[in-house]
Amino acid sequence: MDFRFTPEEEAFRKEVREFLDKELPKDWPGVDPDCYHEDAFDEIHEVSVAMQKKLAAKGWLGLTWPKKYGGHEQPLWKQIILEEEMTYRGSPGLDPYQFVGGMGDLLLEFGTEAQKEKYLPMMIRGEIKGATGMSEPNAGSDLANIQLKADLQGDYFILNGQKTWQSAAHRADLAPVYVRTDPNLAKHRGISIILVEYQKTPGITMRRLEMMSGLGAFNEVFYDNVKIPKENLLGEINSGWKIVMAALSHERSYGVMLLINIRRDIDLLIEYCKETKDVDGEPLSKNRLIRNRLAEVVIQQEIARNVGYKLNHLALTGGNVVSTANHVKILGGITTQRVAQVGMQIMGLYSQLGPVGGNWRQTDPVKDKWARLGGRMKHLYLSTICNTIAAGTTEVARNAAAGALGLPREPKPAPKK
Amino acid sequence: MDFGLSEQQEMLKKTARDFFKTELPKTAVKEIAKDPRGYPPELWKKMADLGWVGLALPEQYGGSGASFMDLTILMEEMGRACLPGPFLSTVILGAMTVLDLGTDEQKSAILPRVARGELVLTMAIAEPHAIYRSDFFEVEARHVAHHYTVSGTKLFVTDAHVADYIIVAAKTKGGVTLFLVDARSPGVSCSLLPAMAGERQCEVKFDGVRLTRADMLGGVNRGKDYLEKVMQRAAAARCSEMVGGAEQVLEMTIQYAKDRIAFGKAIGTYQAIQHHCANMLNDFDESRYMTRRAAWLVSEGLPCALEVSLAKAWVGQASRRITSLGHEVHGAIAFQHDHDMHLYTKQAVVGEASFGSSAYHAEVVAKELGL
Repeated sequence: MDFRFTPEEEAFRKEVREFLDKELPKDWPGVDPDCYHEDAFDEIHEVSVAMQKKLAAKGWLGLTWPKKYGGHEQPLWKQIILEEEMTYRGSPGLDPYQFVGGMGDLLLEFGTEAQKEKYLPMMIRGEIKGATGMSEPNAGSDLANIQLKADLQGDYFILNGQKTWQSAAHRADLAPVYVRTDPNLAKHRGISIILVEYQKTPGITMRRLEMMSGLGAFNEVFYDNVKIPKENLLGEINSGWKIVMAALSHERSYGVMLLINIRRDIDLLIEYCKETKDVDGEPLSKNRLIRNRLAEVVIQQEIARNVGYKLNHLALTGGNVVSTANHVKILGGITTQRVAQVGMQIMGLYSQLGPVGGNWRQTDPVKDKWARLGGRMKHLYLSTICNTIAAGTTEVARNAAAGALGLPREPKPAPKK
Repeated sequence: MDFGLSEQQEMLKKTARDFFKTELPKTAVKEIAKDPRGYPPELWKKMADLGWVGLALPEQYGGSGASFMDLTILMEEMGRACLPGPFLSTVILGAMTVLDLGTDEQKSAILPRVARGELVLTMAIAEPHAIYRSDFFEVEARHVAHHYTVSGTKLFVTDAHVADYIIVAAKTKGGVTLFLVDARSPGVSCSLLPAMAGERQCEVKFDGVRLTRADMLGGVNRGKDYLEKVMQRAAAARCSEMVGGAEQVLEMTIQYAKDRIAFGKAIGTYQAIQHHCANMLNDFDESRYMTRRAAWLVSEGLPCALEVSLAKAWVGQASRRITSLGHEVHGAIAFQHDHDMHLYTKQAVVGEASFGSSAYHAEVVAKELGL
């Protein structure tokens, strides 16, 4: 047992911090791991693209990937530290859809040699942006119900149907899209994964959806006789469910990122309470109730963070990460929501004011005069509502935990005739 | 970071689990609850013979030279077994304090006998108006001529009724000082409190108890800082017991959810029950990992104030949630005294309140955050 970081780890952490000090714009307030701000606003997207290039130049994209595709074959602990430090600073540029348990890992595990040679070097050079094509109007938690049809005709798959709630799709170049290749097989059996180049493929139309937070960061994606070359099939035909499961088990990091990211908000809130005076002229931080509330959210976050460290330990020692990643995902959702609730309670009426344009990089000196912390708490409250839903709801995660405990499965409804 | 137990720790854990399974069935735990001593001396002797009472004491005092971390691994199993008796009092509060602060004479006189299972120790910290806050102690040791006289009332003193020595934390001019008091000294009186769980707690009155400098532990006014260390150790040890208890509750509940049939199916088939079980599992894992982290920091002598308080604040509440959900899944059967659940439920409630409640430790966290 040893709960310290090694000197080597500390040194790399320091290197990442210094890089971020140097490369992030001055007074950078931070973006979230959901990428919603960078996907919603062009000027933040540009910062993201620039950071991605800088990371590529530094050799930090595809850090652990094989050298033959341009990767750097570095140990996994470096990737973990890179993710942690970038997340705490709210730095964009390490596109999660490619590098944090995303497409890259799927390509390495299931891709053909030609696919790897084509796409991995582009990713490593920081030239493309990724997304993922999972949810449909009738396939959210019931993911195996996806209906987007892909018919193999000669050398092409012909795609017809729609996806929805597709984060990042409007800016993405490439995404693994989950399609139904055989409607006659049982629903888990007829699924395949196809790599779709969003920007270059005719027949795809997208409609930007606005979120309740006001950001336009996800999309409906419609496929109308879209032709995709058959060599873009990832893995074997009709065995996509295996890849879905792998994709979810690669989700090592998302819960951890939420938990690290929220610490930045907790620290902001602590500063706010130290600087803001109560009616009695004493700082809010001296109020017993507020001290207790702040301590409680820190306790919750630290306990959850520690489970995140356990997850790292499992990943680094080759243990089975699935149950713990699932646990951390639950913790990420409920902890971030709790912080937002406490923040709203502490800041009271000020908490519900946000930047007029929804972009906290461009607060209006007149209209946003009363918005404290750049309107962060309002955004946090609204955006974290999604954290117990996106990438698997808390309820689905609890079902999985019950399964891991060996509890019997719920009986399935009889198959449709 | 390495979260794993060593091979020796795994072995210790397994040995302890097997030992308590045969030596301490729950029927025995319930019998002992009626015994005024609150623990079976025969079992205590066996534990001493296995080297557990002296586990973390140096070999020169008859101990095994193991670490505090090892001790907490053992205590997880004690919590799982609902072991009643003065282990935490004797080892964590008593022997470790004597080891740290005692003179050579004190150590030689006390520690080997502790390791052999011949002595029970405890420490009197809490007071009616100052549960764990030494700034407000009223029990006072007055320096009169060449001796000290101690007077006042200590409360919630664990196992004082069977203790041979009580370490008392008393106010002295300019601070707090610890004294090692023979429990049979004139002026010491002890009465059992009607406490909820198996752990025995006492009111201990000191009425002009006469002590000398030789009874002091660690010198004049060294007590306040040292008490923080005692509280950290005790909180980490208590968390370990609660984690062990929580694990047993989780396992019992899962088994019950698989076995109990309602509406024609095992109740564990239903999502309402599954989510209770998943929440119990997660609370348990969070508690275990944080406890081990805190215990390891204590064990290594590294700064641990924040982590210990994070753990104690969380584990207390989590254990209570785990037992509540355990009851919910079990239904009426676990409300019966015959059932074992209530032993854990009571242990969790007392666990949360002792050695700093969740609110107490939240305030420590607030201070550590610079609030």
